[in-house]
Amino acid sequence: MSDKDHGHSHKAAPMVEEVSDFEILEIAVRELAIEKGLFSAEDHRSWTEYIHTLGPLPAARLVAKAWLDEDYKKLCIEDGVEASKAVGVDWIEGMPTKFGTPSDYCNLRVLADTPKLKHVVVCTLCSCYPRPILGQSPEWYRTPNYRRRLVRWPRSVLSEFGLQLDDDVEVRVADSNQKTRYIVMPTRPEGTEGWTEDQLAEIVTRDCLIGVAVPKPGVTSNATRPVRKALKPVPHDH
Amino acid sequence: MVNTKNFVDVKANFDSVSLLDEIKAKGRSWKDLSAQYGVENPEPPWKVTLETTCDLLAGDSCYRDHNEIDANDYSLAALDRRNEEDELSASLYKDVPYPENQLLSLAHSMIQRGHFDENELKSCMASIKERLLDEDSPDESNTTFLFEKS
Repeated sequence: MSDKDHGHSHKAAPMVEEVSDFEILEIAVRELAIEKGLFSAEDHRSWTEYIHTLGPLPAARLVAKAWLDEDYKKLCIEDGVEASKAVGVDWIEGMPTKFGTPSDYCNLRVLADTPKLKHVVVCTLCSCYPRPILGQSPEWYRTPNYRRRLVRWPRSVLSEFGLQLDDDVEVRVADSNQKTRYIVMPTRPEGTEGWTEDQLAEIVTRDCLIGVAVPKPGVTSNATRPVRKALKPVPHDH
Repeated sequence: MVNTKNFVDVKANFDSVSLLDEIKAKGRSWKDLSAQYGVENPEPPWKVTLETTCDLLAGDSCYRDHNEIDANDYSLAALDRRNEEDELSASLYKDVPYPENQLLSLAHSMIQRGHFDENELKSCMASIKERLLDEDSPDESNTTFLFEKS
């Protein structure tokens, strides 16, 4: 056995072994912006480190906790910002600015589904998203097709995502904006009786938290979602 | 931070930019590269730094104490950037996958606003390419390597 082996194999994960023009373009845009004084290299490094820490796990944990604790569920609904602290997200002091940020504003609302009420989140204006607790938005969330059609035909759009709702279920679409961000607290599915918080958090996927899916035992990842072009793009000066 | 107010009222136009057209035609997307090399990460490693660049250009979300933030000091407002990205992703860059279309749109918006011009971008890309592809170019005389360089 050589020193390098340490008694177990070190098979490197595959990696892309070429530099694409897009990778070079990203670096060039960034370096030129720094050279022109639009922002500093230090600000870029610090903000990147912060962005790197974000993902959907805190939001999943918030929902799992709420399913197990009625008092916590009540807090989530009444004060999402305060409830977020229990899952390690401080929307105010935890931000690099120490006072929220205007673009990830410190006003989170948790929308609790019931068997007869389904919430779903969109940002019709651009792609506002509760990044501090849910990470980066998926591609389809950013598309004009999703943003424009969800507010007009939510049931049809949800059915395209594989979510068929009965006629007696009310659908509420929450439109995010600069000041308010939303996550959905879906109803706890059957078949999860006796589960731990960890087990429950695993089935609360990003798509469940946006509202285009509902949690199911055994489903722990997001399905591939349709990304459709706008059929009739609307000029922005309209 | 420089005063960027001169830039903010510029309305972007959507005429093609030859350098970006060239990158669009020749550049290999992450979708292709990750499939070829068997990499499972759905997004390229540069996506997070691209997001940061977008955030910092918007200024209002940058890494600063809120007392230091000037709400009127931004280079490319988030809403303008997103509107232009929507427009460009449906026109000039409609055949480019995400997030490469986001990147091309950002570069396009910045060129149209005069933050840098096409020649500067071309020259910067050439220098970066040289830096990334030529392993012996930087001066490493004061560096101790803890492994054998092949």
